[in-house]
Amino acid sequence: MHPFFSSKSIFLLPKFQNSTMTIHTLLFASLLIFSFIHSCRGGNKDRLFTELQNLIEVTTKPMQDGVVLEAGKDMVTVKWKLKSSAKVDADATFKTIQVKLCYAPISQVDRPWRKTHNELLKDKTCPYEIVSKPYDKTPQSLDWTVELDIPTGTYFVRVYGIDGDGHEVAYGQSSDEGRTTNLFSIQAISGGHVSLDIASILFSVFSVVSLLVFFVKEKKKAKLEQRE
Amino acid sequence: MEVEGKGGEAGTTTTATRRFALPVDAENKSTTFRLFSVAKPHMRAFHLSWFQFFCCFVSTFAAPPLLPIIRENLNLTATDIGNAGIASVSGSVFARIVMGTACDLFGPRLASAALTLSTAPAVYFTAGIKSPIGFIMVRFFAGFSLATFVSTQFWMSSMFSGPVVGSANGIAAGWGNLGGGATQLIMPIVFSLIRRMGATKFTAWRIAFFIPGLFQTLSAFAVLLFGQDLPDGDYWAMHKSGEREKDDVGKVISNGISNYRGWITALAYGYCFGVELTIDNIIAEYFFDRFHLNLQTAGIIAASFGLANFFARPGGGIFSDLMARRFGMRGRLWAWWIVQTLGGVLCAFLGQIHSLTWSIVVMLIFSVFVQAACGLTFGVVPFISRRSLGVISGMTGAGGNVGAVLTQLIFFKGSTYSRETGITLMGIMSIACSLPICFIYFPQWGGMFCGPSSKKVTEEDYYLAEWSSKEKAKNLHLASQKFAETSVSERGRASTHPQT
Repeated sequence: MHPFFSSKSIFLLPKFQNSTMTIHTLLFASLLIFSFIHSCRGGNKDRLFTELQNLIEVTTKPMQDGVVLEAGKDMVTVKWKLKSSAKVDADATFKTIQVKLCYAPISQVDRPWRKTHNELLKDKTCPYEIVSKPYDKTPQSLDWTVELDIPTGTYFVRVYGIDGDGHEVAYGQSSDEGRTTNLFSIQAISGGHVSLDIASILFSVFSVVSLLVFFVKEKKKAKLEQRE
Repeated sequence: MEVEGKGGEAGTTTTATRRFALPVDAENKSTTFRLFSVAKPHMRAFHLSWFQFFCCFVSTFAAPPLLPIIRENLNLTATDIGNAGIASVSGSVFARIVMGTACDLFGPRLASAALTLSTAPAVYFTAGIKSPIGFIMVRFFAGFSLATFVSTQFWMSSMFSGPVVGSANGIAAGWGNLGGGATQLIMPIVFSLIRRMGATKFTAWRIAFFIPGLFQTLSAFAVLLFGQDLPDGDYWAMHKSGEREKDDVGKVISNGISNYRGWITALAYGYCFGVELTIDNIIAEYFFDRFHLNLQTAGIIAASFGLANFFARPGGGIFSDLMARRFGMRGRLWAWWIVQTLGGVLCAFLGQIHSLTWSIVVMLIFSVFVQAACGLTFGVVPFISRRSLGVISGMTGAGGNVGAVLTQLIFFKGSTYSRETGITLMGIMSIACSLPICFIYFPQWGGMFCGPSSKKVTEEDYYLAEWSSKEKAKNLHLASQKFAETSVSERGRASTHPQT
């Protein structure tokens, strides 16, 4: 009887467990540190979107109306300014202005990673930043080329007024409250290339052909051995 | 100069001119397991087979860690992602069942390499998909490669003898399953390397898929070039020269499927291995979305789940063997049920935790339990049937994937349940589906709650009952006889059963 747990292998087993345990402890420790830093950055977690005032007027004009914009090629002109109905000095706290590209409800259907949450830190409606610049009282305009990594979908633009602490204090958007009007569509790049397709075909053919070659070789070998 | 020795069921001694690097038994199966050796043919077969299985796992689960990018490129909905996840594990349900027979007919070397090489195109073509349907199709076909699990177990059972076959099987399976974890680390790293070389996000992920595809192809080549089906040679040659007795395939299948224990192990495996597969599919996205981590960090955390397989699954197998030494088969069953149920409890907990740190801690502990349960399952499976070992293994293996399909269908498709709720419900279902383990009963050894039969059934009675008297007259049952003799160890130390 040759037992698996011979004296040599008993030393092997704890060795494995120790090295994996060390790796796990290190991983765990580094993640603890990471999450500690992460949670410190949290700040005030309860800031809600509904607490913000709609003080900014935003208009968007796609390069061509009624046409789906192509990522990497087409442009959208975004204009924003403080609403004329706003009180004097309503923008006193604004330090930075952040212009973001946001999903319309139709692009959020069955996609929980794009869900709208009232808590500003949880909200996933506006993941893409168009521009972030210091606040200027004068009306602003920007010609923005749709970036290459924007996915296919229907969008609007939202502008946040941010104070010195980095907290949003006011907003404005190019669409209505229900986010149904004045939307524009973007078509993403496919990311595919002819060279990739050719490479796929080449490698696949290579795999299948080599399998057949091996099979034929095996059969020949077997026939040879049978004859012996 | 090597001479063909007579191996297999005939049982006569080998000619002495054949030399092996490791000590072997009468069937030329190795009686020891030396991890750091690549000696031909035993240890070489081990390393080739676990590595090939590992590569197949890497390919099958290469998409999940990159889903945050892929879902935007292909405009996928949560329903599409759920369907693709189901597709990725459903293909190999059928493939695993067929693989056992394929190994019997062609040998594990050719059967596994054929599967690996014919599914590699699915991985390569992932680079060119443009729609949700394309995504579902490539994941479906790539997933067939998980049937190399059956060929791994088959090959190890042909190369290693009784006292070490459990460990060989457990380590090979565990290190293969490791691929599901490793891929969560590998793919984001490969992706960011390619991005750094200048590709856009939506192109970089496509190029990244060539890496698992290449590894899959190369591992199959290694198996074909350096591997050998049996200690004495390859199947093809030995079959034709009449050395191996062939059993009636129909009888083997009907004998296997009529054994109720195989169905229970299939269901239970569906809720340990099935849970593992489901987690491999959803965990990276879960951490990415719920805790707002970046792709690499979510990948590292997701990887640590699958990486526990390095020691957890082999550990389960070894624990099963340890329990058997003292308590016999009843010990194996109790250990399996307790570990698997605890895994389910931890899974239910995981969904309820709101903090990142605690989620990681619970997930790590949960991973050890669920993977050990997989190892414990295959501590019991080899004893359910000797004649239809391949069928029972195939059923159990397939059952694992069915569990993954069902779980993803019920809890992780579309937006019906949030991911967290899905994870909790999966844990509860795990606990429920582990209960049938209590009903496994061996008349010669007992079950969890009952001792051995009062009719004093022996191991020989149990295993030879699988053969008819006509077949016994032809001496087809001799391997089962030998197995029955060695399985007396499943009575445990404390048994008062009289020795026959």
